Amino acid sequence: MARVSGLRSFVARRLLLGALQIVAVVLLVFALTEALPGDAAVALAGDQPDPARIEAIRAAMELDRPAWERLADWVAGLLLHGDFGTSLTSGRPVGEYITDGFGPTLLLATLTVALLVPAGFGLGVLAARHEGRIVDRVISSVTLAVYAVPEFALGVLLVTVFALQLGWLPPTAVGYGTDLLGHPSALVLPVLVLLSRPVCSLVRLVRAGMIDALASPYVAQARRYGVAGVRVRYAHALPNALAPAAQQLARTIDWLLCGVIVVETLYVIPGLGTVLLGAVAERDVPVVQGLAVVFGALTVALNLGADVVAHRLAPRAGVAA
Amino acid sequence: MNQRSDTTVRPVAEIRDLRVEVGGRAIVDGVSLRVLPGRVTALVGASGSGKTTTGLALLGEYPCDARVSGDVRLATDDAVGYIPQHPAAVLNPARRVSALLTDIARSQVRHLPRRQRRAAARERVLRALAEAQLPEGEALLRRHPHQLSGGQQQRVVLAQAMLLGSRVVVADEPTTGQDALTKSGIVDRLAAVAARGIAVVLLSHDLDVVRALADEVVVMRAGKVVESGPARRVWPAPRHPWTRELLSAEREFPEPDGRAGAGRTVLRIRGLTARHRTGARSTTVVLRAPELDLRSGESLALVGRSGSGKTTLARCLAGLHREHDGEILLDGVPLPGSLRDRSRAQLAAVQYVFQDAAAAFDEHRPVVHQVARTAIRLRGIDAKAAEQEALTTLNRLGLPEDQSRRRPGRLSGGELQRAALARALLAHPRVLVCDEITSGLDTITRRGILDTLTALVREREELSLVLITHDLDVAARARRIAVLEAGELVEQGPAQLILRAPSHPFTVSLMRTAARPAAGTGL
Repeated sequence: MARVSGLRSFVARRLLLGALQIVAVVLLVFALTEALPGDAAVALAGDQPDPARIEAIRAAMELDRPAWERLADWVAGLLLHGDFGTSLTSGRPVGEYITDGFGPTLLLATLTVALLVPAGFGLGVLAARHEGRIVDRVISSVTLAVYAVPEFALGVLLVTVFALQLGWLPPTAVGYGTDLLGHPSALVLPVLVLLSRPVCSLVRLVRAGMIDALASPYVAQARRYGVAGVRVRYAHALPNALAPAAQQLARTIDWLLCGVIVVETLYVIPGLGTVLLGAVAERDVPVVQGLAVVFGALTVALNLGADVVAHRLAPRAGVAA
Repeated sequence: MNQRSDTTVRPVAEIRDLRVEVGGRAIVDGVSLRVLPGRVTALVGASGSGKTTTGLALLGEYPCDARVSGDVRLATDDAVGYIPQHPAAVLNPARRVSALLTDIARSQVRHLPRRQRRAAARERVLRALAEAQLPEGEALLRRHPHQLSGGQQQRVVLAQAMLLGSRVVVADEPTTGQDALTKSGIVDRLAAVAARGIAVVLLSHDLDVVRALADEVVVMRAGKVVESGPARRVWPAPRHPWTRELLSAEREFPEPDGRAGAGRTVLRIRGLTARHRTGARSTTVVLRAPELDLRSGESLALVGRSGSGKTTLARCLAGLHREHDGEILLDGVPLPGSLRDRSRAQLAAVQYVFQDAAAAFDEHRPVVHQVARTAIRLRGIDAKAAEQEALTTLNRLGLPEDQSRRRPGRLSGGELQRAALARALLAHPRVLVCDEITSGLDTITRRGILDTLTALVREREELSLVLITHDLDVAARARRIAVLEAGELVEQGPAQLILRAPSHPFTVSLMRTAARPAAGTGL
């Protein structure tokens, strides 16, 4: 069918565009790390910045070769062997850094999304149902207030109250390594902080979309013809409020997977954000580039997914490549 | 029909002394109504006469904050079916057509064992679609509403009412803005519904359709019933002066503007082919007009069904449709294809008035300022002179100063359309394109606007008119008519000739369908 092949060619075009975007990100990240003053050799030389010693380290790490040659080598390795290269500072494969860091990040993201979706949609629909009344006002003002608090402030506040004063939960995940699932109590505070702002934006989006949908003639028609209230809300009105929410959800998942640096740092969780932060501090270019490729691919894939969902939910609007 | 007299048949719905007040103003005042099974009851009146409020009362729906008194009684508990003016509005854009139909059917098969429910519901849905004259139901159920034609959308909405088993169906302006052929399809459909013993309540200001369908007529004005009775009595012998005025507004078949020997050619179209983009690289030809001329002081009607390319042709003239070949010459000089490449004088020379006047105005600024802006932008006169001229023109078109100074939201559809005309006239155009500017309006307002147009062409010798319409009554006012069918210019000539003796088969069929609803009066 013409429509299906239209969607297929749209997906193909977007994947091609996505590949170009990833290449651009890698080039940009490489150029920016090159442009930073100092390099891995300087970082390794540490407290004794003896120029001769730095030169020696540079030669040993092949950092004295022209930048484009190093980039070409790295790209060739990635494309031919799927090899992200090795870290400049530790000599460990970059792939290992990524797989190690991905576990905790994925765990946090999964837990957050699992709570975010029902909370966001449920509260949004609830607020829309009671538009202008007390329930709506409470939900709307609380979400606005919470949204206004930056993560680091909320994180510190939660640690102070629940870990330090009440002593209910551990303040950080220090000492648990990557085995976070074995210590669920350490996950409560970070997930709460991660959840706080996305849940607010999602609730507000769903509420706005639902208010429009509930006032529409097609919902009036469904009610008029005796369709039960719950079904009207979730099967007839909600699909029309979903398209913007799906886009927002994709952005949130993207944000969660691509290293939530503040939260990981605050709660000392060894996820991708922490890996990225360390690599940038040590000018560990291969690690930074490897992460750039992973983050770029995730972003492209998630946004494409959201666009396909939006196309399904708002078929009239069509899709812009 | 077999009913001998109304008293022997029990009404399926009855309204007694209904009064609906909003903000202290009665929009429906003391209306009583009996709806009989198998009959078409038509509520007739100008916009704002309270037809829709009365019709929605049968559905148990009232405007918000309304104070309601009186009785609305239905013979059965079945929901009343509703077919709105725009059927697309009640179809969920994010769901397939099957969504609401299946939900309705599912509530009817609760008594069956769980396993049989799905099949039984599906069968009911398909039967209802067939009853609504949609035999290819299976394929249709999988589509989204935007993938259906307007007629199919209306039939799907009708199928919802059929599935529900409604004994009463309310149809709100079902033919407004439709061309003659589509209209006759809708008339057939509603007649078929009534033939099944269902009571149809028709709310309409389209007297052709009312004449063709109605068994009972209720004439409303300003919220009150001024006359009611069987159609065969009301049409030939209206008792109330308002009914007579309504009927005369409809029947008048005005002579086209009779000014002899129009001037030289203003606009010359040669070998025009317009395309639409259908994909990244592919295009389809939507219009071919090898030759069409417009003389100074002349009015030309472009007639055809929806989708025949009338509007595309007009958009090419106005520089709004770039994908075209061929030449459009204004006074012998080719007009650039795109608005952006045209000079101010060229822009001023061709002005366009759109169907939806409300959408063509900025809701936040007074109408007179928006009207004056044309003269400032396109003729470069100063703001004060422009405002003065705007007020004069608006006044000439029937909008006094205090109304002109209001914002668009506080003017009616007819008033806004006059303001839109004034705005175009302030450019001192050579060619004025009117794209279905009367099709959303009721009979009396429409006549007013058309009279204004006729007077304009008579007064301003330099002005030529292009009237785009699917309404042959409107086309009859033009000097010449060009007929479009599926993107081809099939016939053109003097209006009298085309209307009296059409030569192309399509034109003949257009005339016949337009004449047919009116011919049903004798029933």
